[in-house]
Amino acid sequence: MTSRKAQGTRLKVQVTTLAVCLVAAAIPIAAQQGQAPGGGGSELSTNVNLGGGSGWRGTVPSGPVPRLPDGTVDLAGVWQGGGPGGSNGGLERGLAKGETIPILPAAKAAMAARGPLDNTEALCLPAGVPRVPSAYPWRMVQTPTHRKATHIFILFEANIHTFRQIFMDGRKHPADLDPSWYGHSIGWFEGDTLVIDTVGFNDRHTLDGNYPGTTQKHIIERWTRKDLGHMVNEITIDDPGAYSRPFKVTYPATLRVGDEIMEYICNENNQIGIAGGYIKPQ
Amino acid sequence: MNRKVLALAAVLLLPSSAAVGAHHGFSSEYDEKKPVTLTGAVSKIEWTNPHARFYIDVKDASGKVTNWNFELASLNSLRRNGWTQFTLKVGDVVTASGYAALSGVPMANASSVRLADGTRLFAETNAPSVQQTPQP
Repeated sequence: MTSRKAQGTRLKVQVTTLAVCLVAAAIPIAAQQGQAPGGGGSELSTNVNLGGGSGWRGTVPSGPVPRLPDGTVDLAGVWQGGGPGGSNGGLERGLAKGETIPILPAAKAAMAARGPLDNTEALCLPAGVPRVPSAYPWRMVQTPTHRKATHIFILFEANIHTFRQIFMDGRKHPADLDPSWYGHSIGWFEGDTLVIDTVGFNDRHTLDGNYPGTTQKHIIERWTRKDLGHMVNEITIDDPGAYSRPFKVTYPATLRVGDEIMEYICNENNQIGIAGGYIKPQ
Repeated sequence: MNRKVLALAAVLLLPSSAAVGAHHGFSSEYDEKKPVTLTGAVSKIEWTNPHARFYIDVKDASGKVTNWNFELASLNSLRRNGWTQFTLKVGDVVTASGYAALSGVPMANASSVRLADGTRLFAETNAPSVQQTPQP
């Protein structure tokens, strides 16, 4: 027979479990409310960008900005967010209040003519920059690890399972770049802000699954770690092939302590287009 | 933890499953105006990316059996929400809700999966009105 004391202990466990569930449920709910299109702004608390790597229920840590022995801000770790993500409308979400996207008429027409299978991410092709990193967790790796980096790598969980490399050793962009999905990135620190300058893109990917990019695209990312658990990426997009002037979008990223990036081989079993009727089942 | 507490916890967690799957847009593949709730035995599980899938044999009133393909989230989201490759087994009877394919083929984007004993499994859909997802 179960004792009254044991029953009381079990009830406490159940109540505690419920409380944990309530807190766990409340965190993503708040995040979703911040996802509403047109929300604008770049407040950390109102612009969280979840994605396919969602579902992690860890707590974002608090504390001071960590530093390497030489004093350089340490950006290493597994992060989520920092870009427009995989969903359409992600670019607008990063605009400051009152800002608009200065898309040229021809680019707007091309965007409207795009079909569902023109989405590179749905086809398991790279989503490009600045669409990634953001929708899935990613890890920033600095080398060497004990002083200011000469190379930084951003390892993407998805989509697709790949990486960007940022040359921090003072080199310039080559003059004869081939167009590529992630472009050629050089970086440097301005105070505690990591600046990444990227050119040499192809024109196959979009900025957010919706807005186009061309081979003239020039992206400048400014990554600033605000504290232990939070980073902000202010992105300047300069692409005269599709936009009438440079414009800025800003996205927060959060540190995922205890999480790891996982394998994601997108073209393993991609059935895109069958449910939509664009591709016939085999 | 008794079943009532488990069920309540599952309901509380449901809104958090609305986090968007980023691989493809919902509206180019599925029809939010075609919600389905189907019960059948699992015939196959594909523990794969970009989406895990399970297939169930669904018998209609005339006895005709149709094999339905239900799309789940990515493995990564499923793993982070407690699934493993052994969570669902061939032969399990499940009641699944979701949204049917635009093309009319027997495919659906899963919004809810419930085992015969009432256990509800995490499912993630990027349907725009996911908070109003029908529950079996």
